[in-house]
Amino acid sequence: MLKKDLILRNPLRLIGYEGDDILSDGQFGAVLARAGVGKTAFLVQLALNSLLRDNNVLHVSLNDPVDKVVLWYREVLADITKQYNVGQVDQLWEAILPHRFIMTFKVEGFSVPRLEERLNDLTEQGIFIPRMILIDGFVFDESKRDSLLHLKELAKSSHIHVWFAVRTHRSEKSDPGSIPRPLAQMAEMFEVAIQLQPEGDKIHVRALKGGAATATSHPELLLDPSTMLIRNKS
Amino acid sequence: MQNDIRKVRNIGISAHIDAGKTTLTERILYYTKRIHTIHDVKGKDNVGATMDFMELEKERGITIASAATYCEWNNHTINIIDTPGHVDFTVEVERSLRVLDGAVLVLCSVGGVQSQSITVDQQMNRYGVPCIAFINKCDRSGANPSRVIRQLREKLGHNAVAMQIPIGLEADFEGVVDLVAMKAFYFDGNNGEDIRVEEIPKELLSQAKEKREALIDAAAMFSDELTEAALEDDVSEDLLYEAIRRAALTREITPVLMGSAYKNKGVQPLLDVATKILPCPLDVKNEALDAENEEERVLLSADPKAPLVSLAFKLEDGLYGQLTYVRVYQGTLAKGDTIVNIRTGKKVKVGRLIRMHANQMEDIDITPAGYIGALFGIDCASGDTFVAPGTNLCMTSMYVPEPVISLAISPKDNKAEVNMSKALRRFTKEDPTFKTYVSKETGDTVISGMGELHLEVYVERMRREYDAEVTTGMPRVAYRETITRKAEFDYTHKKQTGGAGQFGRVGGYMEPTKEEDFLFENKVTGGAIPTQFIPACEKSFRKCLLKGPKMEFPVTGIRIVVNDGASHSVDSSEMAFQAASRGAFLEAYFKAKPVIHEPIMKVVVETPTEFQGAIMGSLNQRRGMIVGTQEEAHMCVIEARVPLAAMFGYSTVLRSATQGKAQFTMEFASYKEVPKTVSEELMKKAAEERKNVA
Repeated sequence: MLKKDLILRNPLRLIGYEGDDILSDGQFGAVLARAGVGKTAFLVQLALNSLLRDNNVLHVSLNDPVDKVVLWYREVLADITKQYNVGQVDQLWEAILPHRFIMTFKVEGFSVPRLEERLNDLTEQGIFIPRMILIDGFVFDESKRDSLLHLKELAKSSHIHVWFAVRTHRSEKSDPGSIPRPLAQMAEMFEVAIQLQPEGDKIHVRALKGGAATATSHPELLLDPSTMLIRNKS
Repeated sequence: MQNDIRKVRNIGISAHIDAGKTTLTERILYYTKRIHTIHDVKGKDNVGATMDFMELEKERGITIASAATYCEWNNHTINIIDTPGHVDFTVEVERSLRVLDGAVLVLCSVGGVQSQSITVDQQMNRYGVPCIAFINKCDRSGANPSRVIRQLREKLGHNAVAMQIPIGLEADFEGVVDLVAMKAFYFDGNNGEDIRVEEIPKELLSQAKEKREALIDAAAMFSDELTEAALEDDVSEDLLYEAIRRAALTREITPVLMGSAYKNKGVQPLLDVATKILPCPLDVKNEALDAENEEERVLLSADPKAPLVSLAFKLEDGLYGQLTYVRVYQGTLAKGDTIVNIRTGKKVKVGRLIRMHANQMEDIDITPAGYIGALFGIDCASGDTFVAPGTNLCMTSMYVPEPVISLAISPKDNKAEVNMSKALRRFTKEDPTFKTYVSKETGDTVISGMGELHLEVYVERMRREYDAEVTTGMPRVAYRETITRKAEFDYTHKKQTGGAGQFGRVGGYMEPTKEEDFLFENKVTGGAIPTQFIPACEKSFRKCLLKGPKMEFPVTGIRIVVNDGASHSVDSSEMAFQAASRGAFLEAYFKAKPVIHEPIMKVVVETPTEFQGAIMGSLNQRRGMIVGTQEEAHMCVIEARVPLAAMFGYSTVLRSATQGKAQFTMEFASYKEVPKTVSEELMKKAAEERKNVA
């Protein structure tokens, strides 16, 4: 009951994605923002949305240790349950835990073949079979094109979709509505791109590609700067 | 005693069991003139090395318990904590590591980095203890210090840099070349006490220059000044030491020295480098927990004038009573002071303060911040914090988890019985998570603690240290019962047929609660149950909780509310209401859908990455839920939640699956409902046991 309550209130539906998952197998999504704007919090909300529906999520972090990633989940879940007045956080937490797996690497120690190796460790022994992978902290540059293509194939054959947190830089200006730099050269690989843009004291959630980007009218979404939770502008 | 805190070093000597750390410690004490003769660990003179003072340690040539001893070198005070090398004695090793500021990692030049060196290193890494490496036994056949340095880099991920090169190896090992001073050191005299400094032998000069370059390059990464000096080819000794020290303090460089303690070579230069490079108490940040403020972390200052904060890190039974080793982190501990034990709140007076030199002692008046001393005749437990009155800081968390596993033990003979009770008294003082009691049903002595290994270590220590041979039963997990829904009761106990009558009716409900293990509420109005009988009801309910009706496990997380009842003016009694409450409990308990809860442990496995898959598989097989994996260089940390019942024998499984290269820690996390299949199995087992008893 509780889980259902939260799923129905999921604000991501407002951004123009009617289906259960925004992405389908083998598809890539990107959450773009400058440092400190809320990429990780956004990814965690995407993950929780999936976890609440009992879908397995593999969270790969190249920045933070496992404990810190766990803390992100705890805080975001606590904020969500508080916002929607849902009690029994402990029960919810226990219910989603078996569906989440956290892997952390040092940035320099991470590579797609390595991830594949680890993924095989998990799937071959039936320990954990993810439906969604989140990769936080991946550094995008042209040299990574081949490995991303390889990941895309892997995702397709394993029936997984992948979300990336992409860090943009203040100094690199891009046209409004266009995909900013680190991702621009690889934009064709990504089916969905969502940008978090601070304006004044608000953080706007804008679809740059896929979903609401093509819809004619869609409600504008914001991130609550205090909790980094997604909410409707109204 | 040295009054300048910058000239104090609290160091540990840790290593794999046969790397020769006890011999090294012995030589250090000899050269610092703390002892005047040298005894071998497995000596024929029946004296043994000074740090190995427990009888059985002498016999077996190993170090079990850590002793703190102090010595002086080059105007520096060095407190040495001799740490055990056994992987199983981690509680003790980790407690010593808290007290250290720096460490010397002793490696065998033949055996190199062995699996237990990996364990010891991981522990040092966890506590961020800066270290220098000493490659011992260079006189042994097969000695190869460069291979050990390579292993330090590859297996432990250290940025290991040689500060010396050997002059000859194996039987030809003569001394070392110091790459900072660019001099050759030879060790003459019967016990290597006369150091002869000479020019570097010609055949080693080019190798020495090359290695010095490498040393300067590595150190220059952490000092711009050194980089500049190196470019101008004007590197002074002080500048080089300063750069190495800076990097070593953050574990970014591990300086490597070499020698042979047994052959009395290379020990004095090790002491020189230890005083120059390892941190003084001021270099290390120590934190305490504020007991008044939800255990918030508070930074301590090594100021001897600040209020006292000190940690009792080791207890020892001596001839004259209990000896308590104390490290002072803040303020000064002085003879005659009144100090407070934060755990018990008791004030104690410091009668005698001493400084230990293995098992000989020396009276002192004060122990200032940064120093290690020992208190005599003070009753406390290991891990207790002593502070100045008015201070409310503790060095370790006050939270002591409940034991999750128990084991019945029985002494083999009368002598063992006496020794066993002595040992148990000592262990319960040393370790708050270790408990013991006598089972009312079986009359067995039961020990309980935080894991299988935890209890195994104590059984082994009973045998070794107290000569108490005991037989052990099967370990038992501390399961619990709890209810999952509200259920009502209305029970009448009535016996009015002949003799004195009994009458009592108890009505109310029970429901699950998370607040406490047991809550009892009296909501009876209008005297339906006379007030004097209410305590009898509560007492009876409490008694019922000790052995749950489902599986005879203790019942927790239950709230019982009594709101109705009836009494008889003549036939009601405490006994009648106790019986009525028992009946009421049984009536409602099964309606409240009881379930069994089991302890779930937080298991953290540290392993070389190549075994990651196998370990995750092994945890999964044990009903484990893996929270995450963390990869760093060659090592990987796997964190999981695993039921304790499934962890029996895991250390053996892990060792054989990883060639002994992985280690795990386990601590209690929470209680969780057991899956249906397991619960059925437990019920079957309990039924069988009951049948056997009958």
